[in-house]
Amino acid sequence: MSRRVAIALLIVLAAAQPEPAFAYLKFGVSVSGRQVTLKWAQTPIRYVVTSVAVPGVSADDFQAAVGRAFATWHAVSTASISYQLAGVTNAVPGRDDGLSTLGFVNRPDLDRVLASTSFLVDMSTGALVESDIFFNSAFPWSVAPGGEANRFDLESIALHEIGHFNGLGHSALGETELRAGGGRTVLASQAIMFPIAFAPGSIAGRTLKADDIAGISDLYPAADFAPAAGTLSGRVTKNGAGLFGAHVVAFDPATGSMVASFTLNDNGQFSIGGLSPGPRVVRVEPLDDADIDSFFDATRQVDIDFRVSFVDRVVIVPRGGDSGEIAIAVVPK
Amino acid sequence: MTRRTLASCVVLLLGAIAARDAAAQPAPAGPGRLELSGGALWIGRTAIGAADANETTSSNGSFRLFTTSSDLAAAPSVDARIGVRLARSLAVEVETAYGRPELRVAISGDTENAVAVTAVEKIQQYMIGGGVLWYLPALGGPRFAPFVFGGGGYLRQLHDQALLVQTGRYFQVGGGVTYLLSSRQGKWLKATGVRVDARAVVRRDGVAFASGAHTAPAVGGSFFVRF
Repeated sequence: MSRRVAIALLIVLAAAQPEPAFAYLKFGVSVSGRQVTLKWAQTPIRYVVTSVAVPGVSADDFQAAVGRAFATWHAVSTASISYQLAGVTNAVPGRDDGLSTLGFVNRPDLDRVLASTSFLVDMSTGALVESDIFFNSAFPWSVAPGGEANRFDLESIALHEIGHFNGLGHSALGETELRAGGGRTVLASQAIMFPIAFAPGSIAGRTLKADDIAGISDLYPAADFAPAAGTLSGRVTKNGAGLFGAHVVAFDPATGSMVASFTLNDNGQFSIGGLSPGPRVVRVEPLDDADIDSFFDATRQVDIDFRVSFVDRVVIVPRGGDSGEIAIAVVPK
Repeated sequence: MTRRTLASCVVLLLGAIAARDAAAQPAPAGPGRLELSGGALWIGRTAIGAADANETTSSNGSFRLFTTSSDLAAAPSVDARIGVRLARSLAVEVETAYGRPELRVAISGDTENAVAVTAVEKIQQYMIGGGVLWYLPALGGPRFAPFVFGGGGYLRQLHDQALLVQTGRYFQVGGGVTYLLSSRQGKWLKATGVRVDARAVVRRDGVAFASGAHTAPAVGGSFFVRF
């Protein structure tokens, strides 16, 4: 009934891995010809941790750090998701054993992969059965409260990977620049689910952002959240034709928060869910060319030849409804 | 005599004095106790907040993607009032106004050089409230009656196609003058006239991107009849 599905879920130092992500914000799987959002059918979600320690991180440190990361997702008041530590195991993450296992694995061959999340999906329902996270012990790790120079913060990386574990895809709310030695460095990001990690020593990735909160709330809405939340949807075109892969950002001038999504079909349609009601400023931008593989199947043609632009009207997200289709025409660079 | 009875007597006495004054002396605003009026109210631009779209750097600093500055643009409203004179110089009013100001969000400073634009949306604004008006007889003339007033009420703002309603409160203080066009003591229609005023309108909540009060200047003009 079940088979392991390799969905991309990697947080990397530079270029992302080429496995396909089927959708932004939420993953989808095809079940009997229809697209089903990948999520857990029941909570609390039980997980186990391995007893493997690495320099600077004992097994107890590891358990505590991932526990804090799970607690951060659990604390989102507009979402209803919970987790339960089911014990310590000697199993290795990545095995189809019915246990959602988190632990260190030494993978020096994956020299740009800090951590990775994999799923076991019941292909008859699309429900998650198991999700494993491995942290690459080929990198230096830290659980120091204030971070540690030249070491990656385990809690920050765990927070990102648990986002995938929950069923979230990558967010493109971030800026990068090319590094002299190859790859890219993050200048800034506004989503834990941004696919490239902050530099070693940083602990800026321990706090969820509005984009992450909207995503988890959309996927597992709290009882009082769903009726109150709204969506913002529309269509991006260039030269009259739908544009695939445009990054659409909804900015809330009241809170300064940003939530984003992509146009996900050839008609150029997009939808951003999990939004609190209110006015929004809408910005449309092309993906950075280096980021494309972090979000889309490499076989998809993503158009990045257009100018960044803003919608010239204030878009209203209603309570419990949709903004109505916003038409956005972009122009080539 | 109980305390309650004494208080009632005092209130009745004050009421009697007010009624006697209103009847015995010409009111500074002219004849008539009930006033109906309709006109226009122009409310000036109101700054309602500024916010940057910031991303977080690895050191927990800010990286600004773009910046916004928002206001409710100046707009006219239609305005209607009912007033009742309680005493020679004192009246109470209920007022309603309806206008369609633009919500304007100016966007600039984009880090990827997007062209600066102003995103606009027309909203519907209802103001329903009341207040107190005090005539200043010492400053008036046979037809002119200066006054000061203050009040407040309920603010209801509807976004595009009524997709979202935002509510709040407003308060206002100001001053103006009435001018009698006609005055007919003893008739059913006792007076007609015009009124102009200037005021400060303070809005709280409703369509606003920053907390606190947002103040706008306003001027009004109306035609009234008194009975």
